[in-house]
Amino acid sequence: MTIFDPTASPVPRALRLPARPTRLDGLRLGLVENTKFNSDTLLLRLAARLRDKHGATVALLSRKRSPSHSIEEGQIDALKNVSDLVISGIGD
Amino acid sequence: MTSEDPARLIEAYYAAGWTDGLPVVPPSEKSIGEMLSGAGLLADAIIGEIPGRNTVVTASKVAINAVLAGCRPEYLPVIVAALNGLCHPDFAYHGPASSTGGSAMVLIVNGPIGPALGINSGNNAFGQGHRANATIGRAVRLVMMNVMNTRPGLLDRATLGNPGKYAFCFAENEQDHPWQPLHVERGFRPDESTVTVFASNSLSQVYNQLASTPEPLLTGVADTLYHRGSPNVKGFNESLVVFAGEHSELLRKSGWSRRQVQRFLVEHARQRVADLKRAGRLPGDVTSDDETTWRHAFEAPEDVLIVCAGGQAGSWSACLPGWGKKWTRSITTRIDRAPA
Repeated sequence: MTIFDPTASPVPRALRLPARPTRLDGLRLGLVENTKFNSDTLLLRLAARLRDKHGATVALLSRKRSPSHSIEEGQIDALKNVSDLVISGIGD
Repeated sequence: MTSEDPARLIEAYYAAGWTDGLPVVPPSEKSIGEMLSGAGLLADAIIGEIPGRNTVVTASKVAINAVLAGCRPEYLPVIVAALNGLCHPDFAYHGPASSTGGSAMVLIVNGPIGPALGINSGNNAFGQGHRANATIGRAVRLVMMNVMNTRPGLLDRATLGNPGKYAFCFAENEQDHPWQPLHVERGFRPDESTVTVFASNSLSQVYNQLASTPEPLLTGVADTLYHRGSPNVKGFNESLVVFAGEHSELLRKSGWSRRQVQRFLVEHARQRVADLKRAGRLPGDVTSDDETTWRHAFEAPEDVLIVCAGGQAGSWSACLPGWGKKWTRSITTRIDRAPA
């Protein structure tokens, strides 16, 4: 008898990563809040630090349907249009 | 690797990390082909996808895992329908499958396929001893591990997990039912067969041997559905209540409708906001208003799933808390059997 592999690997998708910003000064921030307790609090505090240290501004706070759901394509498009840097969170 | 020694093959599957901890049934070309024919599927048929994980579930991989689990070929349509449910966008697989909450995927089978396959709905419905219950539930979990990459410590981050993660499948007892069964309630015909997938991280049995009317019985059920340790205190739960013999008979004799039972539970499954704050389940200081403000577990009657199962003797029912309907919803899928 032969061993049969019961596993499947994720099917790769072609993704193109944007260039990372080399400086944080004056960046427009996109925040993705996943609706967990304190997710928005933590992200906004982080944004405030980036504002104080680097003059970054919050361009868009986007809220996911739930922690379980993927972010919607429309939300991604909106973030792409107005943000230089996107921060998402949080875990437990 | 090939071997004629079953023990060596079983060890090889262990060594590859492809089991749930229990020994598996080594598949062969023949058994995989027979399994596929049980649902009339071609090997490359796509059963479902989970876009967030770039996961594609094919029939051949499902069949291999079903053989590993010990299934008979005629069980495969139930497994396929259950996997359709897990892949449904509203089930939102990633959360319930990966959360620290460690949910079991509860499979509730309705319709004629339950008795036809010998899926237990009676005594010890949640327990051991019935091949269909054990292996259908196990096959779904093996597919989750092996195909959907939901492995403990990786994309399965359960803090404790629960024994239902090995297998949790039962049929609804549609005989002597106080109301119509779950699938009919959800719009399917009585002669159709369905499987409902529901993510739950625990099971609490509710005892009441003295209640002779619905109110005292359901008060205990409501308390169990929503307490200060409940997984979700945000007020948008979907939970499962399983009434067993003596309790379902009490409800049947009372003449209460399913909707009356659901409304009672929606009204009484609640906690004071002050108590939730004192218990550290809601943020903020306790205000005087919090002492008289109630937070309810459910928003609507249909958020309480009600099914009947279990033995005729004993004053037991069960509550299975859900995850929160905004994060995942139970999904009922029709089971399509292979053409004769």
